[in-house]
Amino acid sequence: MTTNKISAEHLTYKRNRHLILDDLNLNVQQGHFIGLLGANGAGKTTLMRLLNGVATNFTGTIQIGASESIVDRKQLSSFSESLKGVNANRTLHQIATDYAIMYLDFSEKAFENFTNKYELDCHQKLSALSKGNRKKFATALTLSRQTQLYLLDEPFEGIDSMTRKRLISNMIAWKPAAATVMISDHHVNDVVNILDEIVVLKDKHVVAHRNTEQLREETGMSVEAYYESFYEGSATDD
Amino acid sequence: MEFDDKVPIYLQIKQYLYQAIITGRLKSGAQLPAVRQLAAELTVNVNTVQRALSELIQEGVLVTRRGRGNFVTDDIKVLIELKNRVIATELGTLYRQLADLNLSAEEMKDAFAQYVDEQEAHHDHQ
Repeated sequence: MTTNKISAEHLTYKRNRHLILDDLNLNVQQGHFIGLLGANGAGKTTLMRLLNGVATNFTGTIQIGASESIVDRKQLSSFSESLKGVNANRTLHQIATDYAIMYLDFSEKAFENFTNKYELDCHQKLSALSKGNRKKFATALTLSRQTQLYLLDEPFEGIDSMTRKRLISNMIAWKPAAATVMISDHHVNDVVNILDEIVVLKDKHVVAHRNTEQLREETGMSVEAYYESFYEGSATDD
Repeated sequence: MEFDDKVPIYLQIKQYLYQAIITGRLKSGAQLPAVRQLAAELTVNVNTVQRALSELIQEGVLVTRRGRGNFVTDDIKVLIELKNRVIATELGTLYRQLADLNLSAEEMKDAFAQYVDEQEAHHDHQ
């Protein structure tokens, strides 16, 4: 029964002879909001790149549903980082049109919906956007595809807390029951209420994978305190 | 609504709904918003809301009607029991804290009665 799972087994990844992930194992059921937590440099973005199929030179296996191949995984997942490398002189509307050509599952109607709710002006050029609006735009593009796994890398960076709350409400109302949304963040409290599960990355491994409600019930700890307990005694670069 | 991150969120949602029902913000027989809408309003995850609602359904406080959604029960007995249960929980906490201060039963009753009177008087002055 691997069809409704996302998994990484014995995943090892090096970049420039530098070990980034070392024999990492992760197995999640589809359909949840999952928080990918870890200090800067813990490998959160790398893991997302690997799941999505952008990063390739790894050993081990990665599966989304029953699919292992990189081509399939690119289809089965939508990643917020794919905005990188886009010509910043193009307008949001033009970029979305390019996306619709690249990804058959991209819904322009959904995109219009998100940009309205996010208060983005699609006639603006990408280069004219503030950091927060650029993040919102990346999220809108990512979620406008209809696929199984959504990978959002620090989607709330540079976004004020009121807007963040609105975006999160929006995401809750939007998420199809079968879809999985993985959100990386190093400020746990930004997103903690919507997370079904957390995965903590540290020292090139998954050091914890817990259901948030069980965690609260069993330990009486806040998710943030639990997360921070992995970093006690060591300074983070945050 | 602000949540305490140390306490399971579904328990806090249950408390929130208990309070809404006891105070009449959610009336007997009233329909609840759809799970997804409730989740978006509270900015918590759908599964968490679902768990809270499932327990309320098991307790008989909510009834589910196929294809129509969830409703507050119109069984007055269940609602009275609910109110008594919530009051007992609150009083239980107070009782234990006062007992920890070595107050006798009489002292407790007197202190509480006096406190209530003072609050009322304070309220009247405003």
